[in-house]
Amino acid sequence: MKRISSNMGNTDMQYHLRLREWQMNSQQNKMAEQTRIGELRDDPVAAAHSTRYLSRMERLTRYSRNAETLQSDNRIAEGYMRSAGDILQRVRELAIQGATGTYTKEENRYMAEEVNQLLNEMVVIANGQNGDGRTIFGGDRTLSQAFRVQEGHYPGVENKLITGVKYVGTIENGKIEINEGNYIESRFPGNQVFWAENQQVFADREALNYQVDQDSTIRIDGVEINLKQGDNIHTIMAKINSSGAAVEASLDPVKNSLMLKTTVPHQLWLENGANGQVLTDLGLIDNYNRPPANYADGVAVAGGSMFDMMIQLRDNLYDGDKIDIGGAALKGLDLALNNLLSELGKLGAQDERLSLIQGRLANEIPEIQQKNLNITGLDMAKAITDLKMLEFNHKAALQTSARILQPTLLDFLR
Amino acid sequence: MHSTFTSVEIAKRSIIAHTQGLATIGHNVSNASVEGYSRQRVQMKAFDPIFMPGLNRAETPGQLGQGVSVERIERIRDDILESRIVGRANGQGFWEAREKYIGMLEDVYNEPTEYSVRSLMDGFWDSWQELSFHPEEMAARQQVLQRGEALIDGIKNRYMALREVREMSDQEIRVTVDRINSILREVGSLNEQILKVKAMGDNPNDMLDSRDRLVKELSGIVDIAVDQRDPDEFIITTGGLHLLQGRVVHPLKTESDPLNEGYSRVTWADSGNEAYFRGGKLAALIDLRDEDIRGEIQKLDTMTIHFVDLVNENHNPGYGLNGRTGLDFFREYPFINNLAGNYDSNGDGAFDSSYIFRINGTNTLTPQDQVGISGVLSLSGRNGNINVPYFPTDTVDEVIKRINLSGSEVVARLDREGRLSLKGAASENRENPDFVLRHIEDSGQFLVGYAGMLQNSGAAGAYDWGQADAVAALRGGELNYAVAPLTHPSGWIEVNPALKNDPASVAAGYGTNGRPAESGDASAANAIAALRNSNVMLGKVPSFDEYFAEVVADIGLKGETAARALDTENLIMKELEGMRDAISGVNIDEELAQMIKFQHGYNAAARFLSTVNSLFDTLINRLGV
Repeated sequence: MKRISSNMGNTDMQYHLRLREWQMNSQQNKMAEQTRIGELRDDPVAAAHSTRYLSRMERLTRYSRNAETLQSDNRIAEGYMRSAGDILQRVRELAIQGATGTYTKEENRYMAEEVNQLLNEMVVIANGQNGDGRTIFGGDRTLSQAFRVQEGHYPGVENKLITGVKYVGTIENGKIEINEGNYIESRFPGNQVFWAENQQVFADREALNYQVDQDSTIRIDGVEINLKQGDNIHTIMAKINSSGAAVEASLDPVKNSLMLKTTVPHQLWLENGANGQVLTDLGLIDNYNRPPANYADGVAVAGGSMFDMMIQLRDNLYDGDKIDIGGAALKGLDLALNNLLSELGKLGAQDERLSLIQGRLANEIPEIQQKNLNITGLDMAKAITDLKMLEFNHKAALQTSARILQPTLLDFLR
Repeated sequence: MHSTFTSVEIAKRSIIAHTQGLATIGHNVSNASVEGYSRQRVQMKAFDPIFMPGLNRAETPGQLGQGVSVERIERIRDDILESRIVGRANGQGFWEAREKYIGMLEDVYNEPTEYSVRSLMDGFWDSWQELSFHPEEMAARQQVLQRGEALIDGIKNRYMALREVREMSDQEIRVTVDRINSILREVGSLNEQILKVKAMGDNPNDMLDSRDRLVKELSGIVDIAVDQRDPDEFIITTGGLHLLQGRVVHPLKTESDPLNEGYSRVTWADSGNEAYFRGGKLAALIDLRDEDIRGEIQKLDTMTIHFVDLVNENHNPGYGLNGRTGLDFFREYPFINNLAGNYDSNGDGAFDSSYIFRINGTNTLTPQDQVGISGVLSLSGRNGNINVPYFPTDTVDEVIKRINLSGSEVVARLDREGRLSLKGAASENRENPDFVLRHIEDSGQFLVGYAGMLQNSGAAGAYDWGQADAVAALRGGELNYAVAPLTHPSGWIEVNPALKNDPASVAAGYGTNGRPAESGDASAANAIAALRNSNVMLGKVPSFDEYFAEVVADIGLKGETAARALDTENLIMKELEGMRDAISGVNIDEELAQMIKFQHGYNAAARFLSTVNSLFDTLINRLGV
């Protein structure tokens, strides 16, 4: 433009001034908040990424905390299990001693006393509680005891003795989330940890001609198995065997009835699922009680817990029955000890996994923090120099405007 | 023979003309800083000389000039440039309004900081994780309730903030329409006066300036076209319809629109038809109010209603520490009390529609199963129904995906128990309510026998909202559908008071095989905490992560676009105004120089007059005795 009106200088100066003032203000705000993204429009995509990073960091912190808490809970459980192992070792020693047959009846009775005391202690351990006062070995029934004691009189013994230890917890393993959608089992049902022998359950009813009459489910050890209308006994057995429960199903050759055997020592739990009573029809369970007390009449159940083994040894020692002390009782104790050691092994493996998880998270969290800083963090050095530059420009512009805006022809006319 | 006093007349005319020139200079200088002022110039012309050919012509060589007169006083301006400015001003007005409001919306989100709804929700999920570790504890339950309330507060605050912005924009629309009407009236009255002045042959320069100023202001508000082809009638049109014809004004009106929550509708006062604008501040405000801000509120509502529905779905079957079950975690107030969702939408006293948000099928489906049947689903869409076909080789998962991607306003998923669940989405068309299922029809058996949702296939068995008790077409009973919210969910949600009164009722476990949950059973807590990570179909957005990231990116991009566009418009206007100023603006130095010219001219004329005066003096007083 060749012709400049008097207002032009003022208008232009104001336009540029306002622009620069806005830039300086925006820069100051960013520096105060230490972020490159003062408003969402400054970098919308980076802001979106940042929300994801921030949320992820929250979750990872939570997972890390979960893993840590779980690890320390596991240590407590491990302590109890080791104590139990020590007790079993001592009982085993007593069994071997008693099996040599060189002790008198009196001395056997002393040994029986010791086994009895150790049995009582074992029950206390099995009912152990963690730091919050929750039962450790009761599955998810955490506010009551895991094992209940039955007492009675034994001929020849003055005081009441423990005649049976029943498991009154549940078989739920619990879940704790330690990664997106990944869970770790957090509970130790006592009817697995404190078990000795594989259980075998023999039904009484003939099952060759049985057919399922409607679509239903059965639950074995909590694993749900779907049965369809018209399935015969062989299909049912095949489904049980391929279901993932630690159980083997077969047909008893004598009675042609269903026989279930556990493949890993634990207490077998059988239930009917929704709409149907297949297991009742097969004569295994009744419809009134809850497992493990729901076996039907006539069902033979074999396979006992660690307590059963100890009770058996103690009773044999009271009787002075050498053959059984060295034979069945010892074998039972060995099985119990093996099972306990394998449970400890599982615990150890889980502990290792949790350590690895914590290690990984300890790396991942700072990495994500760094990524977030990369996209939202302000480079202070650059910001300060930018601000300085703006201030300098501002001053220069003001000075220049002041010089050229002032004089008009009026100043020079007489 | 010319008159003795010819020269006096010449001098007189010159003095008057130069005085007028000086006066105009004075006027220019006085108005130099007035916005929109165009500098004025006197156009002087030599006065008609004598003698024109005629019978009274004197026999002397001619023609003798008769001095100067002011022919007209006119504005120096470029009309084409001015009309270009008027054409562009509506772009600037549009983006200015848009940038301001989008900036307000951006601020509502408070991202990416720790004080946003997203971080409150993170805290909520975290409290469930804590509960899953200690399901027997009351303290963990208290924390869950507290975090839930904090989250609800956060959501409500955001809703209130968004609604406030919407009310502000509505108010500004009404004020703007009033301004338009007052500008039109002013221009109308100016037109009348200008016409009269022009009829006298004068140039109503200052009135024209005023009118141009008003027209420019108007063009920033609405997109207008000015038609001056007929010099007697100044016409302003918008979108082809007349706003102003000479003196006749066609004003605009605002009236409350019941279909748009009572917000104003802009109509022509004469015809009552709705007025549409394509540019300028008014168009921006209407767009913002009804598309952008409404969209943001809808997004928040969608997130809230799905969130509440999912948490309730997972909390309801769980057992609390006191053994209670069947409790929802969140509740909405006020609620349609009618269990079947019957609603009277036109206020005539009879139920005429059913407002249902979610319908569940009754059969359990497996996602990887092939459906083995074919047919066409007909689901409500933006304008009419949308057809979604399915084929025998499709898996259940594929059919669900097809429904979600079909562009219909229905969202499908398999719920916790594997049943098909259809939910109403936010509707794009303002006349349809949000989160209400409007039409579900199946020509085959997918929704009928396979999923167990409808009783019959075809149009006879379709679910349609336009009748009361439409739930009769469904297979399941009351437990298989959920009534829709009457108002915005995000403003009317609360934690179930039953839980607040007895925190032990907060459910943590589902129990196994139909038995109530044990104290250490944390399956429900885990399930609710897992909602965070899973793809739960929030409207069309798969998961919560996606939702929060998407809303932030969306509004940020809108803001970025608005800011850049506004900068561009400002720059362009600055250039145009600069060019205008170059032509029409007052330059003081120039005016002063002109003033010197006129001053000297005046002095010379005065000198001439006094010389002529002394000639007369000699002639009259000195000649003779």
